[in-house]
Parts: sequence; structure tokens; C-alpha cells
Amino acid sequence: MAEPVAAGTIAEAGKAEAPAVKAAPAKPAAKPAAKSSPTRRIFIISTLFGSWFATAWTTFTASMIAMLLGTVRFLFPNVLSEPPSVVKAGSVSDYEEGKVDDKYKEFGFWVIRAKDERNRDIIYALSTVCTHLGCNPNWLEADKKFKCPCHGSGFRISGVNFEGPAPRPLERLAIRKTDDGFVLVDKSRKFQKEIGQWDDPDSYILV
Amino acid sequence: MEYESHHLSAAMQTGLGVYFFLVALMNAAFAHYCYRQRQDPVQSAIWLGVALLFAVHGVAFITHMDLVMPEAIKELVNDVMNPVSYFVIAVLGLVAFLVWRRFFTDPIVAWTILQVGLLFSGWSMTDYTFQQIITKPDNVPIVMLIFSVGFFTWLPMRQAIINDDRLARGEPPLEKLEEDKVLVWPDLVYTELICMVICTFALIVWAITLKAPLEQPASSSRIPNPSKAPWYFLGLQEMLVYFDPWMAGVVLPTFIIIGLIAIPYIDFNVKGNGYYTFVERKFAVSTFLFGFVVLWVVLIVLGTFLRGPNWNFFGPFEPWDPHKSVPLNNVNLSDYFWLYLLGDAIEGKGWLAREAPGIILILVYLLGLPPLLAKTIMRSYFIRMGFIRFFILVTLIQFMALLPIKMVLRWTINLKYIVFIPEYFFNI
Amino acid sequence: MALSEFIRGSQVWKSIFRHPAPRDRRNRVVVMLTNVFLHLHPVSVRKSGIALSYTWCMGGITFFLFLVETITGVLLMFYYRPTLEHAYNDILSLRDVATLGILRELHRWGAHAMVISIWLHMYRVFLTGSYKPPREFNWGVGVILLVLTLLLSFTGYLLPWDQLAIWAITVGSNMARATPLLGYEGPGAKLLQIGGVELIHSGSDARFLLLGGRFVGETALLRFYVLHCVAIPLAVALLIAVHFWRVRKDGGISGAL
Repeated sequence: MAEPVAAGTIAEAGKAEAPAVKAAPAKPAAKPAAKSSPTRRIFIISTLFGSWFATAWTTFTASMIAMLLGTVRFLFPNVLSEPPSVVKAGSVSDYEEGKVDDKYKEFGFWVIRAKDERNRDIIYALSTVCTHLGCNPNWLEADKKFKCPCHGSGFRISGVNFEGPAPRPLERLAIRKTDDGFVLVDKSRKFQKEIGQWDDPDSYILV
Repeated sequence: MEYESHHLSAAMQTGLGVYFFLVALMNAAFAHYCYRQRQDPVQSAIWLGVALLFAVHGVAFITHMDLVMPEAIKELVNDVMNPVSYFVIAVLGLVAFLVWRRFFTDPIVAWTILQVGLLFSGWSMTDYTFQQIITKPDNVPIVMLIFSVGFFTWLPMRQAIINDDRLARGEPPLEKLEEDKVLVWPDLVYTELICMVICTFALIVWAITLKAPLEQPASSSRIPNPSKAPWYFLGLQEMLVYFDPWMAGVVLPTFIIIGLIAIPYIDFNVKGNGYYTFVERKFAVSTFLFGFVVLWVVLIVLGTFLRGPNWNFFGPFEPWDPHKSVPLNNVNLSDYFWLYLLGDAIEGKGWLAREAPGIILILVYLLGLPPLLAKTIMRSYFIRMGFIRFFILVTLIQFMALLPIKMVLRWTINLKYIVFIPEYFFNI
Repeated sequence: MALSEFIRGSQVWKSIFRHPAPRDRRNRVVVMLTNVFLHLHPVSVRKSGIALSYTWCMGGITFFLFLVETITGVLLMFYYRPTLEHAYNDILSLRDVATLGILRELHRWGAHAMVISIWLHMYRVFLTGSYKPPREFNWGVGVILLVLTLLLSFTGYLLPWDQLAIWAITVGSNMARATPLLGYEGPGAKLLQIGGVELIHSGSDARFLLLGGRFVGETALLRFYVLHCVAIPLAVALLIAVHFWRVRKDGGISGAL
């Protein structure tokens, strides 16, 4: 589980981003100049490149900024040695309704079988990361709720917050059933209730 | 009886005995000081009596008489203590200290308060829960912090009162009496050397007597309950009860730093430069004391000693029960406005319409209040400071006041958020 | 006596100390001027400025504790490896195996004491009005030093890699996730997107930058180690130099010019 795997998504996102970030500052600078009067454009150009001296300072400043941005970009690693995001979590028949066990808590989720709002019997994967400050709540069987030890947020079995400072429900993770009846959880895709993503069929398995 | 003695170990009783003997010695020394320096035999006799009382305590504990604090007192303290009363007592205490500063900084009064505190601390140590929390190695600095902040609030205020009296009589402050210069070698250099030696000694004793904590190896699945930030950030963690992380963890700390740096530029008062005074800098000193003592130190003490599992509040003698359940049903301002006030449905409204009351309230607070203050109660400040300084001052104070305001709103009407836009993670 | 005379008269001694012992007024002035470390001080100060009841010696104690932390920290670095495999065990062996097993205690309690002493130093400077002109700038330098001290302590908190460490840092670093615009759960982060591609996500936000990963793991340990042992101490040392220099240039620790 812990073997180093290049996190493809991160690496790709990083590559895709780099040109975008560099392009971004250029755009707003170009647009207002195009809209404004020609005298103003000439004024900006003559201020920045009017003499050899000004040109030198402008180039110097620009290259220093480019170096700074490059250094900041350097601090974002392109390859991560984090565990793979797809986890096999037993088979569908392992789960009983209304039971929460901590078997996959160390992987960052609970797999729960429960009735949803439309009274369908579903299995879903609930992220163990509290939406307040990222602690891991504990399941309190007696009270039938998740309780976060850091600041006391409480969540129902569905993941919906009802007490404490958490601003929104726990996130659900992508889950699907393989042809031979196993449950696969993909931690890289998250579904948030408050923007209606829990209706996405990828966020639950119908039993 | 057996249950109690199990809780109060023999070593603990001996330790407490030694502690009470030391306090008795302190009082004997103070009695001597009253007699010699203050020429006050009555006071001297009183403190000799107090020393005797502490010595009796010392004998009782050192002979292992299994004395414990009466349950009734513990229950009373636990019942009185909750986040509201704790904070209100702290604020009222500061106000009382500033208003009756002459009374509180009198050495006899200050000494009395210290002795009551020491007596109460000593008795409290006989309680198992209290003892467990206080003696955690990482909590020792906070005990030091309490006593040092107490002492270093008393000391400057005492000097300030002496100076204020002198200034009222038209005399220069004490510090100005010693304007003549002395050579750094040997005066300052040797002071520093002695100070370093004492510090080194204290640090080594501390390091030998208390082991640095080391818990189980890190594990991302077993999360300790409660999970606390390092102690100096517990004031910020306490703010998280009332604000979202972006406010409590980013915006407000940023404002604290900016606000501190801005102090010399917005404090236009030229008086009080280089000597202790209160009368000449009432506003500046009161605001700073409120910010540092109440909103920082007092909240750290709260976060360290009184916040237990699930970040619930526990009285000082209340066992940390992880199953204690405190209902936290807080309501947003938008719910109050639409549901309770207008009886309207809240669903189906866009976030802008839904949160309009809260947004307007915040805008009025941040943008409407400064001009209002400039026109009314802070008019003289506005005139003397000018627009930019005044605006920065008021904005900083407004951000500082956000915390107590939100606290009071939470305690009185269970308000969760003034503005609640989870779509953009924008909650205030 | 003869030996000490011999040493003081030797060429080696004279090459180091270019003046007689500071026993008279002239040489007490010269010693301050010719020694780079003592030169942090002026030659003479106001009597009121060195009274303990006035300064509480807190600034000096803070600086002293910084030196203690530097020395004990360097010693601890000889036995500590910032990897998931070794970090915890190295701390264990520092306690149980190493001779003089109180170095970690000195380091930790010194750090706690330094946080308290720097607060009290700020408290004293405020209450004596010593931030007032001409010392506005130096007060600002002091505030930055205060923040850096807290960051030093915070980054060091992770290094033992025990439960206390990892969860305190998890709670602390999660705040970065909520930075407005730059944290992926901060207000406005969703507005930063180009052509539907979100620029700020869990793999590109402020917390990711701090930890070098999406959770507190090996990269975070390494980053905190480097920050704790190299980056922040260098910044602090530099600013301390500025701070002390400005105390002298602004006319002593407090009081109007």
C-alpha cells in the first residue's frame, strides 16, 4: 500500500498549470492597454523602455520577478510518494445497515451502508476528514454520531453536520462495485452535499 | 477513604508538604519585611500568623494525613465555571484592576491575592483530575505564564501609579531621576552575566526534573482526543470555536501581526515615552492589556486547562469524560431572519439574497461604524489623528472586537454564522 | 600571580586583547569598543535603563535562550534524522541511549521559556512606551522576531514525530487550507480558474506548499526540519542583528532622545 507511486493527477496538473500561471499576468496587463487611449499606451511604454537606463531596470525587475515565481514553483513537488488513491474495500455483502466500523479509517474513509433521503438502501464511502480543520472524527455508537475530537463537530451517519463548528457535511468519495462484487473506493474524487454532488451515481452503490 | 488515598500518592503528599513549607517561609520573610521596611508590627504579626497556618498545612501533608479538598467546594467551582463565566470573570477582573488599580497594586493587597492563589492551588493539587492536568510536562510553561504575567502586570502598574502621582505633583517620573550615565562594563555586563548564570541553572534544574513528553509514534489513524495545537496557539484554537478557520487561523492572526506593527504609527501620544504610566496613556494601555492578557493569555489558559475531549469545557475538578455530551445547536443569522422573523422559506433563495441581512450587517459594521465614531464619541481622536491613522486604528479595534462580539452572540442567541456562504467557503 | 602576569604579557594574549584589563575608566571604555561582541552595547547607558525593575531583563533572556536553542539544537542534529523511519527512534535514543540525556529537555523547555520571555519583553516595551519615536521601526522588527520565534517553536514541534507532534501540526497547518484565495477551502479559491480548470486544489494550495504533500508526511517532516534548523534561524539571526543595531542607533532601549 505504501509503495511509492507517482501521483499522476498531481504531476499532470502541475504541468498543465505552469504555462497557465505564466500566461496569467500577461493577459490583464495587455487588455487595459489595448482599451485605453494610445497616449496612455505610449506613456507606459516610454516609462518602461524610454531609455537604455529604464530598459535595463525594467528587464532587471522582470527577471527578478520571474526568478521569484520560478522559486515558488520549485517548492511545489511534481512527484509525490503518496499511497495510490484507489482502495479495494471488501465486498458488498460485508456491510450491514447502520454499522460503522473503523477498518478503513487508516485509509481515510468509512464504508457505510444506510438508507438515504429517498429511502434507498445504499453504500457510500465517507471521508474521515472533518470539514472544520481536518481532524478525524470518531464514531460514537451510543449516540449514533461522528464526533470530532478537535473542536466538537458532530455529524450524523449520513455525514451531515448538525452540531459544532463544522461548516458543511463530511465529503463522500467515489465508490463503485466491480463485476465480481467488490467495493472500490477512489479517494481522489470527492462529492460534496452542499453543491448537490451526492446525487451523482458515482458517489454511492445501490444495493 | 481508600479510593481517595489511591488518588493522592505518598510522593504527592510529601511534595505538597514541602510546597506549603516554602510558602510559609515566604510569608515569614514578608512578615520580616513588614516589620523592618514598613515599620508595621500589626501587618508583621498577621503575616506571621499566615506563615504559621501554611506551616501547619506543611506538617499535615508531610505526615500524610490524606487531606483532600472538600467535595462541596470542588462542585461549587465546577458549577460556576463555564466558558461564559470564565471569560466574563476575566474581563471584569481586568476592569476592576484598572479602575481600582491603587487598591490592587498595594503590596499588602497584592500579597494577599498571591497567598490566596497559592493556598487554593495547593489544595487543588489534592484533586486527581486537577493534578493530572497541571503536572503534564508541557503544561508547566502555562503555570509559569500565569504567575509571570500576573507579576509583570502588577509590577508596571505599581510603578505607573507612583509615576502618575509624581507627574500630578509636577515632578519627573522615577526613571528620569536616574538620567546620569554609567559604564556598561562593569555595570550592565555583570548584570547580564549573573542573569545568564541564573537562567542556565534554572533551565538545567527544569530539564533534569521534568522529562520532555514523547507519546506514541505518529499514526494517521489514531487521533488523540482532545487534539490540541502547541500551547502558544491555543488562543487561536479557542477562536476556532467561534469562527471558521479562514477567520480564526488566517485573517485574525494576520490582523494581530499587522496591528502590532502598526501600534507606533497610530499611537500619536507623545507622553509616556520611556517610563511607566497609566494616566497619560489610558486608552493605549487598557486596549493592550485587554488584547494581551484577556484575549491571548486567558484564552491560552482556557484552552490548556479547561478544554477536554471533543473540545468540551470541563471545570478544573471535573474528570475529562470523553462521552460528555453538550448539545451545540447553533443557528445562522439567515435562519433567524427568514424563518423566525419573516416566516419565509429559506430554500430556493440564491446565496446573495439569503445572506443579504448578514452581509449588510457586516458592511455597516466595517464601513458605517468608523465615520459614525469619528462624528461622535471619538471625534477628538479623529481630529488629532487625521483620516488615515484614525481609519486604521478603528479597523484594527473592530477586528479585535469581532471575537468578543461573536462570543456574546453565541452565548446569548446561539448564533453560528453572521454570513453563511458554504458555496464559496465564506462564513463569518 | 606570576603566571597570570606572564599570560597577560605574552604576545598571544596581546594579539587577542589589545589593551590592559578593564580596571580603570579608560580601559573599560576601550574594552567595549574593541570587542565585536561587547560592541553590541554602547559604552555607557542611562542608569535607569539597566534597572531590573524597569527592563525585567526579558530581552536579554530571550537572546540568551536563542543562543541556548542554537547550541543544543546543533548538538541534537548530530543524532537526529528527519525521516519517517528514523525520526521517532532517534528521539527515543536521545532520551535513553545518549550520554547526558537532557539535551532534548534543555532544547524543549528553553523553547517554551523563550516564547514566554519574548512575550514579556514585548509587554515591557509596550508598557514603557518604548516603541514611540524614534523606535517605531525597531518595534516592527521585534514583532517579526516574535512571529518567527513562534514559527521556530511550531516547526520544531513536528520533529519528534509522535502523536502529539503530528496532530498539533495537522490542526495548525490545516488553517493554511483556509487561506483566502490561496487555500483550496478558503473563500474565493473557486473563483481562481482558467477555462474551467481550478488553479487551487488540494495539490496546489498554500497548505500543499507548506507540507510538500497533501497530508503531514515525510515531505512535511523534511520541510519543517529545514525550516526549523536552517531557514528560520538564519532569518532570526539576521533580524536580531538589525534589532540590536537599531537599539544603539535609536539612542538606547527607551526614552525620548
